[in-house]
Amino acid sequence: MRRVAAVLSALLALAMAEPRAAELLDFSAAEIARILRHGPWPQPFAADPGNRVSGNRDAVALGRALFFETRLAPDRTLSCATCHEPALAWSDGRPRSQGRVALTRNAPSLLDVRLKRWFGWDGGHDTLWSMSLRPIVDPKEIGGSAYGIADLLRGDPTLSACYARAFGRGADGIEAEALAVDAAKALAAFQETLDSPRTPFDGFRDALGRGDVEAAARLPVAAQRGTRLFVGRGNCAVCHLGPAFTNGEFHDIGIPYFTPGGDDGGRHEGIKTLRESRLTLLGPWNDDPARATGAATRHVDPQHRNFGEFRVPSLRNAARTAPYMHNGSLATLRDVIRHYSDFDPERLHGDGEAILTPLKLDDAEIDDLAAFLDSLSSEIPGPDLSAGARCG
Amino acid sequence: MHPAILLVAVLLASAPGRAAEVLPIFDAHLHYSHDAWDPVPPERAVAILRQAGLRRAMISSSDDEGTQKLHALAPDLVIPVLRPYRKRTDVSTWVRDESVLTYLAERLAKYRYAAIGEFHVYGADADLPVVRGMVRMAKDRGLFLHLHGDAEAVERVFRQDPEARILWAHSGFDRPDNVRAMLERHPRLWCDLAFRTDHASGGRVDPVWRALFLAHPGRFMVGTDTFVPERWHYIVEHASWSRAWLEDLPREVAERIAWRNGDALFGDALRRD
Repeated sequence: MRRVAAVLSALLALAMAEPRAAELLDFSAAEIARILRHGPWPQPFAADPGNRVSGNRDAVALGRALFFETRLAPDRTLSCATCHEPALAWSDGRPRSQGRVALTRNAPSLLDVRLKRWFGWDGGHDTLWSMSLRPIVDPKEIGGSAYGIADLLRGDPTLSACYARAFGRGADGIEAEALAVDAAKALAAFQETLDSPRTPFDGFRDALGRGDVEAAARLPVAAQRGTRLFVGRGNCAVCHLGPAFTNGEFHDIGIPYFTPGGDDGGRHEGIKTLRESRLTLLGPWNDDPARATGAATRHVDPQHRNFGEFRVPSLRNAARTAPYMHNGSLATLRDVIRHYSDFDPERLHGDGEAILTPLKLDDAEIDDLAAFLDSLSSEIPGPDLSAGARCG
Repeated sequence: MHPAILLVAVLLASAPGRAAEVLPIFDAHLHYSHDAWDPVPPERAVAILRQAGLRRAMISSSDDEGTQKLHALAPDLVIPVLRPYRKRTDVSTWVRDESVLTYLAERLAKYRYAAIGEFHVYGADADLPVVRGMVRMAKDRGLFLHLHGDAEAVERVFRQDPEARILWAHSGFDRPDNVRAMLERHPRLWCDLAFRTDHASGGRVDPVWRALFLAHPGRFMVGTDTFVPERWHYIVEHASWSRAWLEDLPREVAERIAWRNGDALFGDALRRD
């Protein structure tokens, strides 16, 4: 009798279980077309024309060394890696980062950072190299200086030799600001190598594209349903579009943006930062004499709606970069999905983010979207620390 | 130094040259709703208004207690406007909620206001009974209506009461040629420019809007629109931004849009106190 009960129980469990892994939902041609827009992956490397050492192997080695270099900080306790840890998908796992003081924003992952158009939650930088310099010299973050960077590049024999190989000139005799910008460009060259690997979603997407039903069906059915929701009723792909799942722009999604003693104006502040900076594509340190990529910087102008807007993050490897939002206020991906399900639309101006309405998802839909987001993640390899990749 | 020379020197030093003047601002579009009271306490809110150099501030809130808190602290500065919302989420339901009329009647009996608004209404909803009742209340008391909606809603309210006086929030987010047409069709229509940036960029006024401002200098006002509490920290910035583009207009026109129009239309609400 006990044996019969066990068999019945097993049959019941099978009947109630998720559809078999080999199942492929009946995606329409329109859905498949929308899914295909999220690839291919990886994206080909394109050197940054504003950074003369972009893609330069010696510059990558120098940038890697500087990234983990605590001597950039006056008290030698902080480096870029403090808030961008390789083991945490190049973020820090905290809601808000801790520099020399408690900061007000979440440290974004650096994976695939080369694909961005604006940098930072507020887009206050239009190049990866200028973004890389800011935390080093910001007294609230690493708290270093151009002089400190210059002293390091001139005084440390290993870094000095690495600099000479990367830039084709010695550091001696070069003024501090120029050396600091070069260091930032080396840091950018290193970060351009932080590509995220292919994910289960990429296999699914490519299989759909070539009509390979068996391969596409390897994506769990819950993730398939989540994909359908993502490109369909959820309208998520309006902002999280393309291979990197972001439009690279800025939006207000109803997340409060008070900070202790004030608030974080987000993109509005970022545009002001950009316009006041010498370290932009319009400035003297852009290595592209044609200024071919500077048009957006030339024309960007703060609008009232920009106040409280923040950058749309990539969703690749989102499962590995908790917590979420510019201020780390949402702990899990499910919290993020619930936010889009239930947020207060009155926090958005009636004539602003008209595309956003609460999705009113049920629990099963939340699970499906979470499964889809999980399918955008993969094992992140650590940095290449082999002898050939190092400065010394 | 001869005393007369000293006096002249002192007067010259203290004479307000145009470059040193800070243009007063009448902010016609502010809210201090329930979720702002803790993060921006009333004393702090009033300090922000004064820091921004506001001459007057038209404030409506969900619910009205927010407006009364600020008016009690700064009666010289705050012009109360009565919003038909008890919480911000009423924005999408109020036109079909008859209890709104009871609420408005109670508040109107208790406090003095310059206008009813800002309320959101579009198209044919403007003829719903609750909206009609509110328009009648404004008519009975000679109050402005601060209407956030499309041109059709404005037209419908004017059909209900041709003598109504409407401040059109955000100029309806309409195109300047349509705004011009509405102003020319309705002499009792005024416009605020809150949450718009299409009329000015980088301190320069758009040519089409410039022509409109010069044609109707008495019909526009500026406003910040603190639709979420965080935007209270944007009021100072907004006032500076407004001064920058107003500087691009003839002084007389700039002053009218900056504060004289607001003072002329709504100043009575303070003087009667």
